[in-house]
Amino acid sequence: MNKLTMVLVPLFVVAASLAVPSYAGDDEEALKKDLTAVIALHGLPCGEVVAVKVLAQDDYAATCKDKNKYHVYLNASGRVIVEKQK
Amino acid sequence: MRVAHAAVLVLLLTAGCARGVPDTPVSEPPSVAAQPAAPQPSARPAVPATPQGASKAAPPVAKNPAAAPTLDLNALEAQLRATKAIGVFTKITLKNQVDDLLDRFREYYQGGAKITMKDLRRSYDMLMMKVLSLLQDADEKLASAIVSSREAIWGLLADPKKFAAFEG
Repeated sequence: MNKLTMVLVPLFVVAASLAVPSYAGDDEEALKKDLTAVIALHGLPCGEVVAVKVLAQDDYAATCKDKNKYHVYLNASGRVIVEKQK
Repeated sequence: MRVAHAAVLVLLLTAGCARGVPDTPVSEPPSVAAQPAAPQPSARPAVPATPQGASKAAPPVAKNPAAAPTLDLNALEAQLRATKAIGVFTKITLKNQVDDLLDRFREYYQGGAKITMKDLRRSYDMLMMKVLSLLQDADEKLASAIVSSREAIWGLLADPKKFAAFEG
């Protein structure tokens, strides 16, 4: 491994970890609650979001207590879209 | 018109969450703390005294006299922006639904829609219920302020002249 690689690899790792915001503790709970409300407002079954994966900024994969999964994201025109996932 | 952007209850929410750029941080405006208390009974308009009107017929158009003047929409707007009872995505979703409702009012007033004022009232009430459901446990003060303003806001929407001014 050359010197350049040794410098770049850690940089990429750090960059990658910063690219997608991570949520912890209270923030994650707040996010779950937020997505639960969003899914309910769209009239879709869920019950409660129990797991969230942050796909990108304003782009989430939510898993519900009733096993339903949804892709929740903000589209380019500013609408929150909820798509059921298989 | 300033009132325009504040009028429809959660339109208010609109301002609180409309993010043209998705990467806006989930922060709340700092000015909110300085906002006055929620518009309390004084905000109640001079409209029929039966605020829980989910099943009641839509009030006749243009028969809600002067609902706006006593309505402190700016305070409501600020509180809706600031409340932590509703998450950002939820606020955006509500904003989307407010926009949809406003579109339906527009269609109605343009005469191109087959909806009735009663339909619009039902949609308005449903939206109100959604908002209140989200707020009532976590932000009772704001929930009661919204309840107090509910008929006044409807008064703005259900009056074609006020709605036009609101749009303008």
